[in-house]
Amino acid sequence: MSKTRLAALFAVFLVAIAALAVAGCGGSDDSSSTGSETGASTEESGGGGEPLTVGSDIPYPPFEEGKPGEYTGFDIDLMDAIGERIGRTPEYTDTSFETIFRDVAQGKFEAVISAATITEEREQTVGFSDPYYLSEQAILVKEGSDITGLADLEGKVVAAQQGTTGLELGKEKANASELRPFPEGPDAVNALKAGTVEAVIIDAPVAQNAVEKSGGVEIAEKVPTEEEYGIALAKDNTQLLEEINKGLEEVIADGTYTTIYEKWFNLEPPKQFQG
Amino acid sequence: MADPMLKLVGVHKRYGALEVLKGVDLDVAKGEVVCILGPSGSGKSTLLRCVNLLEPPEEGEIFLEGQDICRGPGSGTGEQSWNLDFVRQRVGMVFQQFNLFPHKSALENVTMAPEKVLGRSKAEAREKATALLERVGLGDKLGQYPERLSGGQQQRVAIARALAMEPHVMLFDEVTSALDPELVKEVLDTMRELASEGMTMLVVTHEMGFAKEVGDQVVFMDGGVIVEQGKPVDVLDHPTQERTKKFLGLVLER
Amino acid sequence: MSEFFHQYFDFNYMGEHFWEVLEAFLQNLVIFAVVAVLALSWGLLLALLRQLPGKKFVPVRFVTIAYIDLFRAIPILIVILLISGGIPFLEFIPKDIRIPHWFGKPDPFWYGVAALMLVYGAFTAEVYRAGIEAVPRGQMEAARSLGMSHWQAMRHVVVPQAVTLIPAPMLNELISLLKDTTLVSVIAFAESVLISRELLAQSFNSSAMILTAFFFILIILPMARVVDKLIARQQGKIARGSHIEVA
Repeated sequence: MSKTRLAALFAVFLVAIAALAVAGCGGSDDSSSTGSETGASTEESGGGGEPLTVGSDIPYPPFEEGKPGEYTGFDIDLMDAIGERIGRTPEYTDTSFETIFRDVAQGKFEAVISAATITEEREQTVGFSDPYYLSEQAILVKEGSDITGLADLEGKVVAAQQGTTGLELGKEKANASELRPFPEGPDAVNALKAGTVEAVIIDAPVAQNAVEKSGGVEIAEKVPTEEEYGIALAKDNTQLLEEINKGLEEVIADGTYTTIYEKWFNLEPPKQFQG
Repeated sequence: MADPMLKLVGVHKRYGALEVLKGVDLDVAKGEVVCILGPSGSGKSTLLRCVNLLEPPEEGEIFLEGQDICRGPGSGTGEQSWNLDFVRQRVGMVFQQFNLFPHKSALENVTMAPEKVLGRSKAEAREKATALLERVGLGDKLGQYPERLSGGQQQRVAIARALAMEPHVMLFDEVTSALDPELVKEVLDTMRELASEGMTMLVVTHEMGFAKEVGDQVVFMDGGVIVEQGKPVDVLDHPTQERTKKFLGLVLER
Repeated sequence: MSEFFHQYFDFNYMGEHFWEVLEAFLQNLVIFAVVAVLALSWGLLLALLRQLPGKKFVPVRFVTIAYIDLFRAIPILIVILLISGGIPFLEFIPKDIRIPHWFGKPDPFWYGVAALMLVYGAFTAEVYRAGIEAVPRGQMEAARSLGMSHWQAMRHVVVPQAVTLIPAPMLNELISLLKDTTLVSVIAFAESVLISRELLAQSFNSSAMILTAFFFILIILPMARVVDKLIARQQGKIARGSHIEVA
């Protein structure tokens, strides 16, 4: 091909790419997974008021999922509701779970809502709001598997998400031949469906969501761990902590919590969270 | 004249849209030394490369010892082994850039082809190679690697290497053009000896002296065709064509 | 500032987890060794297939070039994810091959090895090709003029010379390969980066990651120096004119 033809082809190529970019842009931006400045790559939700930067490990359905600019989930809805009560507008940034606590401790964002269990270890680095969700772990297996519970995991290949309480549970209680930590929760579920792992230890509501939405899997056992999720903040941010706790209280009291809960879990919330 | 050793009829060579040889006819008798002169781009080297099928011609015929090497079973692409073997075991070539194998000693350069292609035993090949290298005056350099040899010495090894295959025709492609002036003589002397022993040679060269002394026929090429040919004395001293005169004028004015 | 050191250079932490990280790093070396052998062989085969001359071999050359272009263009991460995300679902492949657990290594190891081999086979093929093409055309012409077949010329004249030209660029590719073994972490194989991330998630400290980086530097820096030396030696040779080339 002659040089001029090559140059022409290249120019056409560039124009085509530019056109696609403009057409596809439409307002939503990309957000990096290591956090970024507020406003540059985050999503806003209604409510008006000063922005509140919030980090979350997306996706983790049904707590958080969706594309940048269109995040949804239980955590998202709840945080939006709390934001309304305290006059702040949450702006969400996708972050990987393993750095998320350190990130909020260092001030990368003001709060973290990410199906995060309140643990003593984590409390050394961050402060937590009052609990906003009662959870437990579940053992997710392929439909028809003969694994019935934690005990059956002995000698098997088991997956969990890195840095989660599910992984900790696996280390403590399951005598797995290999405990495989995935950077993202949904990847663990995919590995289960592919057959490369035989069970996944993951938060029960997430497991339930997988059973309903992706199919082909079932819950072998629920392991009550009495975990509670909290919103994480930098330890010294006592003022915001107070505000968020107050906002949460109000959201529970006026029944908004119940609405959101029923929307995402099709169940009544536990007594402690009913208005 | 008996059947010529080499006969070219209407040879055309094209590279894409560019035609380099525009119909060349040439007869070379056995034992004849033909010197080919001409400006660069005239097609001289290409002509040589057609003869040993490094560049098969698009059109025309080339007869080597009576056989048409461009036709025959599956010919036309020049890649058919029948034609190639026949040609390359009868035609040897020496290149302007010597093209010695740098990872082999002088002796090994000369023994490689007889061993691998003709299947000669190591001992036989060595014997022959030693004799050839002595013949070109390099009997004391058998174990040397090309990087340690002067240009003239390398070229003489290249000649020995080509001779090891016992060719009937030898092609020389400007073999002294890359040499320092003081090294040219030794190579020309070797070629002169070869000629006196009756080798059929096609020599592309700028060495007019050699052409006059050793050549039986001189061919002047320009623009892909033979412009003038004949005895050296005629072509070099009394050229009849304008283009020939011009070229010689330029060359001699050097 | 001391926070900086605590986050990244907590030597106590590094000491505590030293063997854990080292063991995981050894996994990177195992991946590297296995892939290096496979990719170097596969790449050589590709390079030779690509060289086959004549009309007869056009389809072979075409497929080879297409393969090389494809795997030079697709990011390795995508290849890894495609293999690990797709192969297990191809039920027509017997389970032992589809979800390999060979020599004690779990399936993500083998998916990673496969992906890296496919890609680095293409890269090494290009290095071989560059080496072969760097051998002056005149060598092939001389060999063929002497009556050698294409195969003989390659074997006795071209490839032996090509091989002396490839160590430097090939070593560069191997350095890349060693670093790219960390990509297998994304499919949850317990090599050094995965372990470091796990430690990071547990203790919110990145020092293990720095330790991992240190292991890589320790191995790669000497390799890089060797490359530099080889290149310098090559330049020296050309300057001294050991390959006589006339313009």
